[in-house]
Amino acid sequence: MMEPVIRVEHLNKRFRVKGKPFEQKKYVNAVSDVSFSIGKGETLGIVGESGCGKSTLGRTILKIHEPDGGKIYFEGEDITAYSYRQMHPLRRRMQMIFQDPYASLNPRFTVGEMIEEPMEVYHLYEKQERAERVQQLMQTVGLKPDHIRRYPHEFSGGQRQRIGIARTLALDPDFIVCDEPFSALDVSIQAQIINLLEKIQDEKKISYIVVAHDLNAVRHISHNIGVMYLGHLVEIGPAPLVYGEPLHPYTQALISAIPAADPDAAGMMNRIILTGEVPSPIDVPSGCPFCTRCKYCTDKCRERMPELKDVGGRKVACVRY
Amino acid sequence: MDALHRELLKVENLSVDFATKQGTVHAVRNISFQINTREIIGIVGESGSGKSVSMLAVMNLLADNASVTGGSIRFDGKELSTAGLSTRSERRAHEKMMMDIRGRDIGMVFQDPMTYLNPVLKIGLQLTEGIRKHRSCSKAEARERAIRLLGEVGISNPEKRLNQYPYEFSGGMRQRIIIAAALACDPRLLIADEPTTALDVTIQAQILSLIERLVKGMSSSALLITHDLGVVAELCDKIVIMYGGEIVERGTVREIFNETKHPYTMGLLNSIGKIEEERKPLGFIPGTPPNLLHVSGGCTFCSRCDRAMKICKEYRPAETVFSEEHSCSCWLYCKDRAQELVEAQERERQGRL
Repeated sequence: MMEPVIRVEHLNKRFRVKGKPFEQKKYVNAVSDVSFSIGKGETLGIVGESGCGKSTLGRTILKIHEPDGGKIYFEGEDITAYSYRQMHPLRRRMQMIFQDPYASLNPRFTVGEMIEEPMEVYHLYEKQERAERVQQLMQTVGLKPDHIRRYPHEFSGGQRQRIGIARTLALDPDFIVCDEPFSALDVSIQAQIINLLEKIQDEKKISYIVVAHDLNAVRHISHNIGVMYLGHLVEIGPAPLVYGEPLHPYTQALISAIPAADPDAAGMMNRIILTGEVPSPIDVPSGCPFCTRCKYCTDKCRERMPELKDVGGRKVACVRY
Repeated sequence: MDALHRELLKVENLSVDFATKQGTVHAVRNISFQINTREIIGIVGESGSGKSVSMLAVMNLLADNASVTGGSIRFDGKELSTAGLSTRSERRAHEKMMMDIRGRDIGMVFQDPMTYLNPVLKIGLQLTEGIRKHRSCSKAEARERAIRLLGEVGISNPEKRLNQYPYEFSGGMRQRIIIAAALACDPRLLIADEPTTALDVTIQAQILSLIERLVKGMSSSALLITHDLGVVAELCDKIVIMYGGEIVERGTVREIFNETKHPYTMGLLNSIGKIEEERKPLGFIPGTPPNLLHVSGGCTFCSRCDRAMKICKEYRPAETVFSEEHSCSCWLYCKDRAQELVEAQERERQGRL
């Protein structure tokens, strides 16, 4: 079997929360005990409610945050303990697309300068060649050649997201973390960006992690889906299985909450409406994190977190299986 | 028309302009629609299509540089439009009337629950403010009502919660507080501007079923502004599709989804991925929404439309009626009237020169 591009084992990341003086230290467990792998040219979509740690997971894999436990392998190489300097050559191959195309571009750079900058940082190509590549990249992402001298403020949200993608592609990465790449865009523009990301993947065999809360968009772009709840991965598997016959009670509620764009669908009738909100991620109880909102909750659930088990082609962490 | 479905709000030929440094932006142009009692209507459009602006015009809450340049807004027989007001005293009297209507007859839910609530006031005060203003009741009675409202929108422990500040609530709870405040005086019309856009799907499902229950339960009406076609498909009776400051198509939910007429609506419907579908390119609308600083003489959508014809660039299409509720403004359906429409628009242009 081919070595997966990214493999994550029992990854943990927690953040210290400010408490009162002399109080016991408190932590937010943003990512707890997450394991998965992504093959070449595959997309893993991570979904979940806000605050479930999906963005932190993406950032920890890129070592923007230092992990607190577990291992991260990039093409079989253990990068968990790599220093900033050791990461530098690898960052070329692991890139990120950010959520807000308004905040992630430097307003004082022209589009051309912005796309060229990553290549300058890594001393790649001669000056002439770089200029050619900039043109090429702009064409790939669907920007016009005369946009090269313009500044970010002259572009709409969708075009800015394209600039961000061109910049990411400048270094020929093997792996891209897309953190909410569509959420700042209008519906008709979202579809353009989804198509673009899929086209690039098919051409260059790049692996993606797509983190988003728009379940429809994630379904479309992903081969595999991971569902997160309070830092835990509760279900992971092929997208048609996870969306088609969700097994974990949380996934079932999440999928049923997607409004169907079809007036004849049963819609709200079959909806599982979760009562209450996501509990605070500070000091999550030792049992299953979902037990406070789960209708199948038993005493067994409150005791300890169930392990991810292989059930019907995907992995689920629930005592019922 | 039967007694149940009485006309409640009727907007006719409403136009709103914004004066900016770059020139006049014609944010809303000649829109007309109507809401009857016990109806939920969805206004769908992308950012900048004028959906929020037209609602703010109804509430008379537009920014200072905006003006209603024409049209009428009739709410239950009262004229809300400021278009005809010239003197200061007239405007003052109008504003006074609006203050009675806002909150009491029309409740409004704004998009961003984080910025709408005053961070330094307890939510109890913010909830009872409207009740105290519009109803002659004591502080204790208003408080009583606020507690009941909070319970209705599903916030546990309402007595204690009333004494808390907005920062102590999560996003979904704040949105529910705003809905409670909007419903505090039993309004006959609830206007909700993107009520669930900032929220997760699970919370969205809670809020939508809450709105539906409350509107249907109190036999009032609701106007839902959104860009999510899934939300309107579930909640609304009728849909109005806006693009570039104009209404391009309207109809009942089934008519819009099953007998789509306008190319823009088709594009919107195609660009949402279906859950069941395998990974294949999504249908999309090329290009970007129009710049409303320079409105051309033709159809606003023609530069992005795959079925655009020569006439689309030159002249505005007229509304074609398909059924009692369903109508669409597109040249594809009014070709037979092209001659007279073109002549009328030519005359209009001559007159302007």
